[in-house]
Amino acid sequence: MSKRISILLLTAPSMIVLLGVFLIPMLLMLLLSFQDDTQAFSLQNYLLFIQDPFYLEILWRTIRISLWTVLCTLLLGFPVAMFMAQASGRMRGVVTILILAPHLISVVIRNFGWVVVLGEKGWINETLLRLGVIDQPLRLMYNELGVVIGLTDSFIAYMVLAIATSLYAIDPSLSKVASILGASRLRTFFTVTLPLTLPGIIAGTTLVFSLSMSAFVTPALMGGTSVKVMPVIAYEQIMSTLNWPLGAALSFLLLGSTILLVTLYTRLIETKRYKEVFAS
Amino acid sequence: MSKVIDVELRNIMKKFQNNVVVRDFNLQVEQGEFVSFLGPSGCGKTTTLNMIAGFLDPDEGELLIKGRRMNGVPPYKRELGMVFQTYSLFPHMTVAENVAYGLKLRKVGKAEMQERVKRVLELVKLPHVAERYPKQLSGGQRQRIAIARALVIEPSLLLLDEPLSNLDAKLREELRDELKRLHQEIGVTTIFVTHDQEEALSLSDRIVVLNHGRVEQIGTPEEIYNRPASEFVHTFIGKTNRLEGVVLAQDGESLTVKTMGGLIVRAARQQRVFVPGERVAMFVRPEKIRMADGAAASEVNHVSGQLMIASFLGAFTECEVKVGGHTLSVKVQMDGQGMPLTPGRAVNCRWESEDVLVMPAERG
Repeated sequence: MSKRISILLLTAPSMIVLLGVFLIPMLLMLLLSFQDDTQAFSLQNYLLFIQDPFYLEILWRTIRISLWTVLCTLLLGFPVAMFMAQASGRMRGVVTILILAPHLISVVIRNFGWVVVLGEKGWINETLLRLGVIDQPLRLMYNELGVVIGLTDSFIAYMVLAIATSLYAIDPSLSKVASILGASRLRTFFTVTLPLTLPGIIAGTTLVFSLSMSAFVTPALMGGTSVKVMPVIAYEQIMSTLNWPLGAALSFLLLGSTILLVTLYTRLIETKRYKEVFAS
Repeated sequence: MSKVIDVELRNIMKKFQNNVVVRDFNLQVEQGEFVSFLGPSGCGKTTTLNMIAGFLDPDEGELLIKGRRMNGVPPYKRELGMVFQTYSLFPHMTVAENVAYGLKLRKVGKAEMQERVKRVLELVKLPHVAERYPKQLSGGQRQRIAIARALVIEPSLLLLDEPLSNLDAKLREELRDELKRLHQEIGVTTIFVTHDQEEALSLSDRIVVLNHGRVEQIGTPEEIYNRPASEFVHTFIGKTNRLEGVVLAQDGESLTVKTMGGLIVRAARQQRVFVPGERVAMFVRPEKIRMADGAAASEVNHVSGQLMIASFLGAFTECEVKVGGHTLSVKVQMDGQGMPLTPGRAVNCRWESEDVLVMPAERG
């Protein structure tokens, strides 16, 4: 009994902070999203969203960009995680630092860094122009490609670390067994390593997907004015148009669709077998 | 009738950086033979097994399996079965799927696959666990399934890498008998790596004793136990008493040695010839010494002593007897009419000169 009280007391400060700065404002925003111009209860903000293809297209674009980001971080991150899993403890530490080091710099600065690389006068375009591969600079940013590149750069660390954690837990003799039973390295990867990395893949993909869906800075800087995503238009409604109810509704629509998609995804992938194999 | 050689190692050498871990390894394993690599950790036994499996490539020498040169051939093209110390079942597959893995890769038809999986599970006496996942099995069951998975592909050679080391004592013995039964039933050529001399002695047709990357001796369990080629082999396998001394006399039939502790020991003729004045080490197994009550008449190989410690171990009692400057380990059968084994008691010990093994003294 006294133990419960002490737990309550110990968690009370953070609970109060969460309640005050997170839960209550969220509830207020939720109420706000159901108001019309006269502050009366109304569904008009949500109806507007469903009826206007402009908003639906933005939601679909947000999802599309997030899915591409997930795919890119997965494909680029998996080999890095594999390298870490078979490296020595020291090498693992070095790679972890290398992966996390960019996060020491503000995302704004990092995105401006990409201008130097991808911009019209960035070194990729300059090099290709000078080599005569192209006559016109390629459009590598201020479009969806640029946003995906920026988000991949921002979130790949999460994917790598999630997958690496799963890989560390795999008994190295399993791939030896597969090999001696007649499986080539590729076969071993697809029949043994990959299925056993599933928990890490699920963790990494859901994490990167949620982060990409709600990312604001990178789409704003790398996408320019033409590639608007949900967080950007919600921001504009609140900060520029001063239509707080619509901004609030857009925020909750984003939150809702993210939760829905993540739930569907994990339901789909966490089959009965998955639970039997990976339940602790 | 000439014998079929399944595995041949010719002057195999392996080094890691500049550290030679296996050298001058020569061995021929006959079809159906059960050969053990026995030695302490770091002796090169697992490295050699990994070279046979194809996980490592020898730096020098040739490896032949079924007459085919295997240097540089990857493991998945060698058609071997292997069982690891850590069971290594695929956790995301059921027992049946684990066992069927090698068959699937060989594109065996579904009906035949099911039949073979069923048969091999019956062979290891676990037909009822087919639909379970590895984590729902006990350690002993897991290792049986690992053996089944290795055998189902009918490998040309079965490699066992300390498969019993992770099991507790009773289970280990049980699975050891099981391995023996399986080998007798299917007769697959087997190479077994172990640091446990009892396992090696009880299972093997022949044992390769390794130390510091060198082959110390290759022989049948009896040869290894009774006619060890080196002091290392003798002391590594079984318990023994070591007495150091100087040769006093040598005639055609026997050798007389005075030990450092002042005992006179006579040994029957040895393979090697010793000359008077030579320093030697003598070995007598504890079970070859007979202990009796009271002091000894001063004969050769018959000494008086004092019982220090007696440890009852069920089938026999292990005693330590202080004799002059030596402490002898003696194994006593308990037959009911024996004397009370109280510490401090005056006893005498006796052994036959045929049971004394003499080697040149390596140390001291």
